[in-house]
Order: sequence, then structure tokens, then C-alpha cells
Amino acid sequence: MLVIVVENAPPRLRGRLALWLLEVRAGVYVGKVSRRVREMIWANVKDGIDQGNAVMAWTTNTESGFDFQTLGTNRRIPVEMDGIKLVSFLPEEKEGSEQDEIASS
Amino acid sequence: MSPILPPLKPIPIKDRVSVLFVEKGNLDVLDGAFVVVDKRGARTHIPVGGVTCLMLEPGSRVSHAAVALASRVGCLLLWTGDSGVRLYSAGQPGGARADRLLYQAKLALDDDARLKVVRKMYAMRFKEEPPARRSVDQLRGIEGVRVRKMYELLAKQYGVSWKTRNYDHTNWGSGDIPNRCLSSATACLYGISEAAILAAGYAPAIGFIHTGKPQSFVYDIADIFKFETVVPVAFRVAAKKPRDPERDVRLACREVFRQTRLLRKIIPSIEEILAAGGLNVPEAHPEAVAPAIPNKENIGDAGHRG
Repeated sequence: MLVIVVENAPPRLRGRLALWLLEVRAGVYVGKVSRRVREMIWANVKDGIDQGNAVMAWTTNTESGFDFQTLGTNRRIPVEMDGIKLVSFLPEEKEGSEQDEIASS
Repeated sequence: MSPILPPLKPIPIKDRVSVLFVEKGNLDVLDGAFVVVDKRGARTHIPVGGVTCLMLEPGSRVSHAAVALASRVGCLLLWTGDSGVRLYSAGQPGGARADRLLYQAKLALDDDARLKVVRKMYAMRFKEEPPARRSVDQLRGIEGVRVRKMYELLAKQYGVSWKTRNYDHTNWGSGDIPNRCLSSATACLYGISEAAILAAGYAPAIGFIHTGKPQSFVYDIADIFKFETVVPVAFRVAAKKPRDPERDVRLACREVFRQTRLLRKIIPSIEEILAAGGLNVPEAHPEAVAPAIPNKENIGDAGHRG
């Protein structure tokens, strides 16, 4: 199972994603693809996301049963806690610089 | 009027991740979700309903609402010292099933049944039947020798210099690296075992091989899985001379728990061990009256309070 959510993505990319995945809500795409196809789709997102942001989650054999990765800036950023990936939601006023600081730590 | 959500129910242990550690931050409930708020105000949601036990390290603070929520979804909270060695636990009260407690106590009180349970524990642990006609004490002695040999063997296999299992739990930094790795790895396993015992409706204090400690049964159950899970992991990590042994141990433990499907196996194993005692689960006595308010239907494990 694969889920991609895009925000503020150019219509060109949204149309492209709809070639392989089902858009169940605005900007929310689901499907079931192999690892190679997933990487190909993510390469499309990477090239086409422009000023927007995206997250992709897929089933895999980690303890939580899935993994995810993100692109672009968002107040929600992935954090890793001893092998389990969670998400931190940053406070509003401290966007930008704070985000880079956490991402690099 | 806003709609009311259905009541919270714990989900089975087998559908959860093993353990999460919170090193620092304030644990609280925001919009009904369990969050850790760090000093910058960033909120990290913890999916407590899907976690078997949550280890709270010395830099964490917990609110009343957070403990209440963890308890309602059946997540065991464990307060630990540096490195995850336990101090105190709460959140999953246990003792919810009188029939299970009485059954466990009956097995522990009956000499014949206790011996059968102990033999089953050794059989599961070493994958072979223990020698016949031995008392619990004799079996304990045989096991001690065997465990020391297994430590030596694993140390040799992973190329770790090993003297003996010793540690001073009041002074964490004092132990050598292999002992520290072992302590933090077994702490993870103890947390999971205690959560599983409580979820299955049994008492952590009523042990069969171990006795006289609040967690006697936890040590009994953890020992069965110790040498197939955390001990090799601890030696493997120790052999790499890690900069942050505790973190590496946790990562490796998570992986081994997943590979061995520990959370899927642990409750059925507890039932199998106790069943080896050959006693029946006590029936309700004839004058017993069913509760006036029937228990709600539960999708979690037997000992979870729905």
C-alpha cells in the first residue's frame, strides 16, 4: 500500500500522479506498487513539486509496518525515536530556521 | 452539538509496536491525542494505543491526563533511570481478572503443578526436556550453570571479553560495556514481558522459578525469550564498541523483537506454560452472582480493562 499526499503542488504533478495512483481526495493518492515503481513515482514528485510539499508513506517490514518520507517545507517534520519514526508538529511562529536546525540534528 | 466518539478500548498486544522511549519533554493530552511537547513548543504525537510500553526517562514530565489516557488504551508506562532500567510503573493496572489470578496462585501453591510449570519453562527455554526427577531447586542449579556457559559461548562467538554478569544498578556508568548492553536490552524485554503478563490478566509478583520479588513472574517469562532475543543482541552491539551503546541496543532489540514475532508469541506462551501445570482454570463457585453491570465487549487481551 502506498499513500502520497501533496500540498500546494502544481496541477501538472497532480495529473501525473493520477496516472498510477487513485486520487481519493484532493491531493491524496493511494495505490499498491513495487519498490521500483514507488521510487520512480517519488522521482516524479521530486522533480515536479516546485514550491509545494509532499509526503509518501508505504507498507514495509519495519516494526510499525510502514515507513514514510517527505519533501518540501511543512510544520510537520519526521523525527526518529530509537528506530520508530514519528512526526513533530512545530509551533507556528518558529518556522524556517527552527526547522533546519531540527532536521540537521 | 458535537458528536460523541465511541469509548476508548485497548487493542491486543500482538498488534502493537514493542516499546518507545521518551527522553525529555512534557507528556500531555492535546485534542485527545497523547503528545510530547519539547521546550521549543514542538509537539510530537505518540500513538500510545499502538505501543506496548512507554519508557519515560529522567528528562520527562507527565500530566494527570496523559497517565489517564495511557491507562485507558492499555499502554504500560515505565519510569526508568538513565539507560532504561526501571524504577516504577503505572498505566496498566492488572489484577483485572480474578479467575486468572486464582489460577496462577493455585499453580504456584501446588508443589506438583509448580514443578510441572517450571519444567515447561525450561523445556521452552532450552528447546529440550530437562532431566527427569529433579526438584525445582535442582533445576534452578542446572539452569544457572547452563546460563553462565551460554554467556561465555556468546561472548566468544561475538569476540567480546566477558568476565561475569554483574552490574551495580545504583551506579550505571560502573559496569563494563557488555554488562551495560545486557542491562539495557533486558530492561526492554522486562517492560514488554510485564505488559504482556498484565494484559493476559496475570500477576507479575507470582513467579515459579523466581520468587519473592514484585516482578518474579516477569523474570520467569522474560528468561524464556532472553537467549533467543536480547542476549545475542547485547553481545553483538558490545562487540562493535559503540559510542552510544544504549541507542544501538534499542534499535537492535526492536529489530529482533520484530523478527522473532515476540509480541505475537508471548501471551500464547504464558498460557501454554501455565497449562502445563495440569490444573483447570477455577470455575465460578455456585453462589457467585454475575455482575449487575455486565462487562463491555473487549477487543483487547483478557486482562485489559475495557
